[in-house]
Amino acid sequence: MKAVGARLPRYDGVGHVTGRTRFVDDVRIPGTLWAKALRSPHPHAGITHLDTSKAEQHPGVRAVITHEDVPRNVYGHLEALGVPADEPLLAEGDVRYKGQPIAVVAAEDEATALAAVDLIEIEFEEREPLLDIRKAFDPDSRPFHQWGAAFPHFGPYTSRRIRKGDVEGAFERADTIVQGVYRPQAIEQLPIEPQVGLSVPEPDGRLTIYSCTQAMYFSMGVVAAHLEWPLNKLKFVGGTVGGGFGGKVDTATETITALLALKSNRPVKWRWTREEEFLCSSTRAPWHMEIADAVTADGWLLGRKMITLHDAGAYTRFSSYGVTKHSFHHTGAYTIPNLRFDGYVVYTNRSPTSAMRGFGVTSVSYAAEIQMNRIAEVLGLDPLELRLKNANRIGDLTANRVRLSDPSTVPVVLAAADRIGYDLSPEYRQMTNEPRSGELLPEHLLASVALDGPDNDGKGA
Amino acid sequence: MNSTDVLVPTSPEDAAAAFGDGAGITVLAGGTIVMPDIKLGRLRPERTLYLGRAALDQVARTDGSYRIGAATPVAALVDAALEPLATFAAHVGDREVRGQATIGGNLCAPPAETVSRGDLQAPLLALDARVRSVGAGGERTDSIDDFLEAGSDGRLVLELLVDEPRRAAAAAVGRPHAHAFTILGVAAAETASGLRVAVAGAGPRAVRVPSVEQALAGGASPAEAAQRALDDLDPQDDAVASAHYRRQVLPAVVTRALDNLS
Amino acid sequence: MRLTVNGLEREVSAPPLETLLNVLRDELGITSPKAGCQQGGCGACTVLVDGEPRRSCLTPVVAVDGAAVTTVEALGAPGKLSPVQAAFYEQYGLQCGYCTPGFVLATTALLERNPSPSRDEILEELGGHMCRCTGYVKIVAAVEAAARGEVSDAALHAGATGPSREEPEVLVPGSPA
Repeated sequence: MKAVGARLPRYDGVGHVTGRTRFVDDVRIPGTLWAKALRSPHPHAGITHLDTSKAEQHPGVRAVITHEDVPRNVYGHLEALGVPADEPLLAEGDVRYKGQPIAVVAAEDEATALAAVDLIEIEFEEREPLLDIRKAFDPDSRPFHQWGAAFPHFGPYTSRRIRKGDVEGAFERADTIVQGVYRPQAIEQLPIEPQVGLSVPEPDGRLTIYSCTQAMYFSMGVVAAHLEWPLNKLKFVGGTVGGGFGGKVDTATETITALLALKSNRPVKWRWTREEEFLCSSTRAPWHMEIADAVTADGWLLGRKMITLHDAGAYTRFSSYGVTKHSFHHTGAYTIPNLRFDGYVVYTNRSPTSAMRGFGVTSVSYAAEIQMNRIAEVLGLDPLELRLKNANRIGDLTANRVRLSDPSTVPVVLAAADRIGYDLSPEYRQMTNEPRSGELLPEHLLASVALDGPDNDGKGA
Repeated sequence: MNSTDVLVPTSPEDAAAAFGDGAGITVLAGGTIVMPDIKLGRLRPERTLYLGRAALDQVARTDGSYRIGAATPVAALVDAALEPLATFAAHVGDREVRGQATIGGNLCAPPAETVSRGDLQAPLLALDARVRSVGAGGERTDSIDDFLEAGSDGRLVLELLVDEPRRAAAAAVGRPHAHAFTILGVAAAETASGLRVAVAGAGPRAVRVPSVEQALAGGASPAEAAQRALDDLDPQDDAVASAHYRRQVLPAVVTRALDNLS
Repeated sequence: MRLTVNGLEREVSAPPLETLLNVLRDELGITSPKAGCQQGGCGACTVLVDGEPRRSCLTPVVAVDGAAVTTVEALGAPGKLSPVQAAFYEQYGLQCGYCTPGFVLATTALLERNPSPSRDEILEELGGHMCRCTGYVKIVAAVEAAARGEVSDAALHAGATGPSREEPEVLVPGSPA
């Protein structure tokens, strides 16, 4: 246990300050080709004509790939978890977000690759884009995704559902209903290192792939799936990432460079520009959340109804997973016994979204906390006392049926109050996270904390 | 990199001769605008005229009159302390960018697709600068108003001529970040030809606001005169701010600049 | 074209409009300056040109013909770090390391022209450098430590024989360390 509470030197610090840390872009393999992509200029369009022959014939170009060169073009990031695939590696027939890659060129140098991209002949038939999740969710809207307006594979449902207790009864018993709408916007992770991948064809028929991915084994699986290769033909070299923050869990540089390397029989590097990062790398999603809480005059949250629209962008990627995590935390750090939650993964003609620091959860934590302030304001109660009263305690049952064993809400709120000199009455200052009893266990919470309550088997309603 | 002729004149006269009438010439001074465009393939120069060695980077001051070489780094303008140019210069990029970017490049900055550039046009307008340039038709010296109106195509700027103002002021609003593009910048100066007020960020290039100047000449207070700014400007949405925001904030920034005039 | 890079005179065959960044990285194999944005916006490409910090991604190599260029490799090496390098290492002024060479060079130049910068001056002078990992607090602490000469011998010699493995100093008294 020597490391706990100790000041340890960073093992990579010396490399960083002397410039010796080797990032993917710093790996030097003689004969490496530069890759550049032809990207969709339209958020939504059909591809009516695509001809790469002029680019292929341009001096200095060694390979051009389109969807035809991908053994398995459509592969879903969550297929291994039973979620069907919807996203093509390279566009096939249509484009659904601005920046979507259609073809990629590998050439002797960057300028040649750029010039060759300009030589690719392409024609589009522009279509009306859906850019706002509320509009995309509207029954009158025409969805562009083959599965409809929203992801339909949450078991038999089109939303991640949580049903707990008797939410209508709670709303009838409430003294007040407090509502709020929360719309945090997309955030770009913006690591200083842009996405980059380098694939090297080995004489023994394998591929060595230098990758900036945050999830190396995951990326290996993705490459193997698209190429329809066994994993043992791939050697991944990763581990030094110039910042990821969730933005490098869905990198496609590995697969694209692998295909170009195989086609040209040369090492190929694809380094995104900062403009590409801003245009079409995955971001934290925009969310639209509507909350209605049934509350009593003395500050108990009896029930919550919530609907979340999550902007997945044009394809699913990990969004169903993000919304599931979001659903588990939709009560915040508080115990609310009666719940009705629906989280929709909505498709828009924007770049597909993915993780950024607290995937799915930062949005709902933000909403839940502001909602608590709102409730306090409406009821004329102290916002910290409102939180302490409803805070998770040992034995409470969460939204996803986890029985809490040691939630830290109460001690953390009290410690924070102490640090900022916040005045709390003695009753509140003495609260703990011990199991509810007495005044902290009103009748409406009995079912939530009963020791012989529902099994913690994780099965949703 | 595709081959391209790069001409490296070593004097202003050589630079003028190499520029000719400017046909097929890309002018490169500090590189802060041209180099990223080349990198992204948006600009593919045929012949490039590099001005870094053409002795165009000096600031000379004689009796309150300045001659500023077109390739003078923006950092040198901060040091030269000629207001309101120095204050605007201090907010261009960061220290490293200011060491490379030039006043000529800023003056002639083509408006980008999503954001307006060329902040220094505003203080130059306020100062009633004159622009000495060469190109088709030979050398001439234009008022800054005429030069900006005509545009820099076909002209190679050699130097700017600026007289010290009697009073000067600058006010701006932007995000507090070294690389934040200015949302709105207002420059004011009392010159030999009167009080001049110019605004950057409310259009593709900086412009004077004659309605404000006239209101002040007519005795209006700074706050009253500032309201007239919207008579001359039509701010647009762009990547850094909305038209609505600019319209709301513009009178306050103009007022601030006029209040600062001292 | 001829440049002096880290004290060595180098003949460069790249075309005059090639960026100094690409010349250093691709032609000369000096990979510490990074391509973070190639628009001059992030500072990861910063090198010293005749002692002044400049964006190598914006600099055409023709502009540095005859100049002296310095990258972090010249400041110090494992086992013998410069005080600024050692301060960044010791104060945890880094995480992923991508912005570090730029910050170290800009800090080295800053302290040479202003040996005792105030915190505001540090923020102003280094304001063009972006870091997405650290939140800047430890970077400022590193600059201040370097300015005050508060750099341990252990840090200055870090990396001499592999990763530093001295006995860690316990931060939390009474911990089971």
